[in-house]
Amino acid sequence: MTKLKVGFYNITGCAGCLLSVIFNEDEILDLVELVDLKAFPFVKEVNAEEKFDYVFMEGLVADKDDLAVLKKIRKNAKNLVALGACACTGCVPAYRRYTLKENYEHLIHKKKNGIQDVKPTPIDAHVKVDYFIPGCPPDKKEILNFIKSIVIGKKPVPYESPVCIECRQNNNQCLLDLGKPCLGPITSGGCNAVCINGSFECWGCRGPTKDMNFELMIKMLKDRGFDDIFIENRMRTFVGLKMPIIEKFIDIELKALKLNTKFKGKKDYFE
Amino acid sequence: MTKTITLNHITKIEGHASLALGIRKNKVVKCELSSTEGSRYFEGIVRGGKYYAAHEMTSRICGICSCAHVIAAISAIEDAFGYEPTKQTKLLRELLTLGERIRSHATHLYFLALPDYLGYDSALAMAKNYKKELQNALNLMKTGNGIIKLLGARDLHPVSATVGGWLKFPKQEEIEELKKKLLDVKDDAITTCKLFFSLNYPDFTTKGRWSCLMDSKQYAVLDGNFCSKNLCTHKHNYRKFLKEHHVPYSNANFVTVKGERYYVGALSRLNSNNSQLSKDAVKMLKKSKVMLPSKNPYHNNIAQAIEIVHCIDHAVNICDKLEIKEEKLDKLKVKSATGFGAIEVPRGTLWHEYTLDSKGTIKNANIITPTIQNLLNMQEDIRELVPTVLHKKKKNIIMDIEKLIRSYDPCFSCSVHFLEVKWI
Repeated sequence: MTKLKVGFYNITGCAGCLLSVIFNEDEILDLVELVDLKAFPFVKEVNAEEKFDYVFMEGLVADKDDLAVLKKIRKNAKNLVALGACACTGCVPAYRRYTLKENYEHLIHKKKNGIQDVKPTPIDAHVKVDYFIPGCPPDKKEILNFIKSIVIGKKPVPYESPVCIECRQNNNQCLLDLGKPCLGPITSGGCNAVCINGSFECWGCRGPTKDMNFELMIKMLKDRGFDDIFIENRMRTFVGLKMPIIEKFIDIELKALKLNTKFKGKKDYFE
Repeated sequence: MTKTITLNHITKIEGHASLALGIRKNKVVKCELSSTEGSRYFEGIVRGGKYYAAHEMTSRICGICSCAHVIAAISAIEDAFGYEPTKQTKLLRELLTLGERIRSHATHLYFLALPDYLGYDSALAMAKNYKKELQNALNLMKTGNGIIKLLGARDLHPVSATVGGWLKFPKQEEIEELKKKLLDVKDDAITTCKLFFSLNYPDFTTKGRWSCLMDSKQYAVLDGNFCSKNLCTHKHNYRKFLKEHHVPYSNANFVTVKGERYYVGALSRLNSNNSQLSKDAVKMLKKSKVMLPSKNPYHNNIAQAIEIVHCIDHAVNICDKLEIKEEKLDKLKVKSATGFGAIEVPRGTLWHEYTLDSKGTIKNANIITPTIQNLLNMQEDIRELVPTVLHKKKKNIIMDIEKLIRSYDPCFSCSVHFLEVKWI
C-alpha cells in the first residue's frame, strides 16, 4: 500500500498546534512511519514542495505572506486540514477586529517591503478547507485519531456534542451553577472538557455547536449578572468571526455603549 | 561586487524570520536579521480587557512557552495590585515553570538542534539509528508535559493558574506520583548531558553581555533582580535599563541594556547562577569541561542539557516541600496602578507590564520576550561569524549560520516564519 503524502505547515500562530502533534510522546515515532512525511518545516530541514494527499495547516492569515503560502499549499493539497483555533476561527489574534483601533494603533509601524498586514482571518475565509480540527490547541489525541482514520481510509467525523457532555462524564462541578460564565453549553466538545477539569470556565475556543440555543445561553449569563459587554467580549475572544449571531442579540445596545466608550459593568466576575 | 546568495526556508525554529546578508570583498556589508512573523498585536488586544483576562489571552503568544506568559502576566497584575501570593501558590507556579523548561529544552535540543550535529534532516528521520536517544527526549518531554498537565490541567495554555491563587489543586498523592516520575527520568537527563557534551561545537565568541535574573535564595526562576555584567535592576526600573529600538526592516524591536547588546537564556543563567545549581547539575557541569563564564553561544545547548538535570532536582525538591491545602482564591484590591512581571523562562527573561485603571481595565501593556532581547546579539554574531567562515563552501556557511541561530533557541512566534536567509 502506498503511504499518504502528508505535510504539516504553519502560518502566523504560536506553534502550539504543531507541538500538539509532536507531544503524542508515546505514538509519534510510529505515527510518522504510517505516512510519507513530505514536509514539516518546524522540525525538518528538507521540505518537498509537491503534491500532498493531506496538509495540516496551523495559524491564521495575518499578512500577505501568509496568504501567499496558504494559496500555494492549497493548490498542492488534495485535502487541506485546518489545524487548531487560529486556522479554524482566527482565535485571539482575530479578536483584534472587535477591539478599538486606538488600542493597537501605536503598535503598527512601517514595515519592510513585502510584509503587509491583512485583516486577521481564519484560513477558510481565503481557501476551501476540507476538514477542521478545532481547539486552542486541539486535543493531541484528536489529532492522532484523525491521522489514524485517514491512514486506514476512513473519513474522520467531527465531534459535535457540546462540551457539557464530556464535562458531565468527568463528574465536574457545573461552573454555571457556581455563577461562572461558562460557554460549555454552546461550544463543540471533543476536548474532554479539559479547561473545566481544571476548574476554569469554557471560553468557547472550539466554536459553537450547530444546534446551539444561543438565546438561552445569553439568558443564563444575564441571570448570573453578566452584562452585554462582558458577554460580547467573552464570546468573541476565540470565535468571534464564527458567531455573527452575537450581533443580532446584543449589538444595538453595544454600539451605544461603545460610543460612550464607558464601561457600564453591572457585575464584574471576580468582584 | 556584492555577493548575493539566496537561501529560502531555514527551518527548525519556532516561527518565521529572515536574514539578509551582503558580502563585498570578504566583508559583510549588510546583515539584517528580522522577524517576518505576521503581527498579532497582543499588547493591543488586551487593552480594554479586564485584569483577569490578561494571562488567558497572552498565553496564546506562544505554544511552547505558554506557561511562561501565563505566570508573567499573573505576576505583573498581582504586582500592580500589591498582592503577594501564598507560599503554596508560589511553589506551584515555580513547579509549572520548571516543567515547561524541561519539555522546552528537551524539544529544542533533540528536535531542533541535534539533527544539525548528526547530519540528519530531522529528528524523526533519526528514529532508525538513534531510537534510544529519541526515547530519552520523548521521556523528558512527557515528564515536563506531565507536570504542566497535572498543575495546569492542559499541556499547552494551562488554565489552573490564575490571579490571586490556584483554581484546581493537584492531590497530594499525585504530587508523590510526579516525584517518582521525575526521579525515573533523571537518567535520561544525565544521558542527554553526555550526548550534548560529546558534540563538536564551533569555536566562536560573542561580544554581547550575558544577562538574567539573579536570586539570592536559589537558581532564579520567578524572582530576583535582572543583572547584566555587574549592573542590576529591580523589575520596577526596567524601562530605565532596557531600551527598545524599532528597526524598519523587521516586525520585531531590538533591545539593548545601557546601549549595549546582550543575550538571555540557559547559558546566561549558567554563567551567572552556576553556584546555585543542584549537586548533580554541578557534577555534569564539571564533566562538560565548559569553562564558565562561556561566551560561546553554541554552548547554550550544553547549558540547556545541564539545566534539565537541575530542573528535575529542583522540581523534586518542590514536590518534597508541597503539602497541598485547598486554598481559596484571594480577592485582589483593584486599583489604578502599573505592575511588572519578570521571570526566567526556557529562552531567558520574560517581561510583562500592565497599566490598569481603577476598575481593573487594562489601559496599556508591554511585553518583551527573550527572543526579542536576543535578536540584536544574534544578528551581530552572524555579522562577526561570516567573515571567519567565508573560505568554506556556501552550503557549510549557511549551516554554520543556521546552527548559530538555532543555538539561541529563538522563538519568532513570540517575537512578533520559515527562516528565509536572503543573501543579497
